[in-house]
Amino acid sequence: MSSIGLAHPASRTDRTAAVAAILRAALILVVCFVLLFPVYWMVLNAIQPSEYSLSWPPSLLPRGFEWSNFRHLFEDKPIVDWLLKSTFVAAIVVAATLIVVVPAAYALSRLRWRGQNLLGLFLLFTQIMPGAMIVAPELTLFRTFGWTDNLTALAFLHAAFVVPLCTWILKSSFDAVPRELVEAALVDGCSHTAALWRIMLPLTRPGLVAVSVVAFFSSWNEYLFSSALITQSDLYTGSLGLATLITQLDTPLFVLMAAGVMFSVLPVAFYLAIQRHILRGLTAGAVKG
Amino acid sequence: MSAVAATPRSRHRLGDGVAYWLILPLLALEGLFLAYPILSGIASSFVNPDSGGYDFSNFSTMLADPDFWAIMIRTLVFVLLVDVAVLLTGLGVALLMNRQFRGRGVVRGLLTIPWAVPEVPVAITFIFMIDPTFGVFNLLARMLPGVTENPQWTLDPTLAMAIVVTVTVWKGFPFYSLVLLAALQAVPEELYEAARLDGASAWRQFRHVTLPGIRPSIALLAVLAFIYSMQQFTLIWLITGGGPVDATLTLAPAIYMQAFRFYNFEYAAAMAVVGLLFSVLATLAFISVQRRLALDER
Repeated sequence: MSSIGLAHPASRTDRTAAVAAILRAALILVVCFVLLFPVYWMVLNAIQPSEYSLSWPPSLLPRGFEWSNFRHLFEDKPIVDWLLKSTFVAAIVVAATLIVVVPAAYALSRLRWRGQNLLGLFLLFTQIMPGAMIVAPELTLFRTFGWTDNLTALAFLHAAFVVPLCTWILKSSFDAVPRELVEAALVDGCSHTAALWRIMLPLTRPGLVAVSVVAFFSSWNEYLFSSALITQSDLYTGSLGLATLITQLDTPLFVLMAAGVMFSVLPVAFYLAIQRHILRGLTAGAVKG
Repeated sequence: MSAVAATPRSRHRLGDGVAYWLILPLLALEGLFLAYPILSGIASSFVNPDSGGYDFSNFSTMLADPDFWAIMIRTLVFVLLVDVAVLLTGLGVALLMNRQFRGRGVVRGLLTIPWAVPEVPVAITFIFMIDPTFGVFNLLARMLPGVTENPQWTLDPTLAMAIVVTVTVWKGFPFYSLVLLAALQAVPEELYEAARLDGASAWRQFRHVTLPGIRPSIALLAVLAFIYSMQQFTLIWLITGGGPVDATLTLAPAIYMQAFRFYNFEYAAAMAVVGLLFSVLATLAFISVQRRLALDER
């Protein structure tokens, strides 16, 4: 634009640029409004009195607030219990994932060994495979060991599903540590374990945080396997509890929406904080070590 | 992104033994919870539900079943619609964000929210939005000429499919726009300057500079969108349950239904084998696209 602009009087270019900027800003606002509308709608209907939500035509703007909606949610539904169960499962998932992923990512990033490509291929495949393909054999496995209605066993399954992605994320953050640092330590007689513990881990804290967050919320959000493997309602996690609210016809709408908001706050906050790290890991799913 | 590039050989090849100890926990976990179920699922797809012996009866029943082919076609339609729509939405948003403006970081963060909201609350919200009595989607539908009544969103096959596609795209687009935004920002500014000097219009710049620059990323994302939509279960299951009359029953919910509603475990296993074959193809496609991406960067 600048090369063409030189031929015109400055004021006119300025005006065109200003109009373009305004149009652009308007477009961005409209796009944001449309794309964020469902989020807005969930929050709005969680905090306004139900008689406003359940009226036709619906009003797009809030007509009043009713914060007691959340009190009703906490009094009428065991949401705290569900969220605690989710937290319990997700915490085990994080621990199990870190224990598995840290040494594996080191082996993939820093060592050459036979079968490395094969393992990479397997991890990639399990990441790509839809979970529904193995939900029935998984139930058979859990029944064989008597693990149905066992939140710890569910947590290990969740970990197994998130480990492939977390391995890539951590491997790419290990790859970024200068080779010489580790090699120097090894030459000085340091063992691989010590090199991993004293050099790699302190230098890759952001990667470890990203892996923990991804592992935590992949479990927190999971529904398919939880619903197949947990049947007792007193063991319900957040996603199971929420899903049963849909089918309970007596659940007031604002309770449903308020529960949705409560369940979404944590993942949204954490994902926003670490989105750049996850992004790199998701696209860099390496095939070769 | 050049993740495929091989790691230079470490001089410390005492590696081998150590490496196997290091991956042992991973092998144990993945072996028990993923590899074993995959293999036992494949094995049970060959079990004849009547005789208990091994044969191809589940596969011959499946291939002769018109419902199975209807599921495959529906899955294909769903996957293609989601793939195209999520790439177009992602690209549109990325292009919009690919210029400096005040509040860009905030907008970028806000537009990531749909990706972060868990699927169950997303389903709950959309179920309310398409409620035939109070749903806000009815306002939109009524703007169309000739629509005077609120549509029955989940009772009409076409509308139900449109809804599950829309929800799946909405939940997924932020990831695609973030990756495309990164790709857009990697297109060298000099190319645009050269095009401008040649008097290229905005459209021609987009067509001849932008698009070729981000083509490898689009290819990778197209494969990822295929994978993402094949995996989709929760949103479809909670919003339409695969209905009305199977109109939104893609492969993933169909397998779940066969196994847990009709208790045809072996038949479900045979369908899952088809899904696993598609996953193998997707894995190969992903690898080949990524290789090309790595070569381009060199």
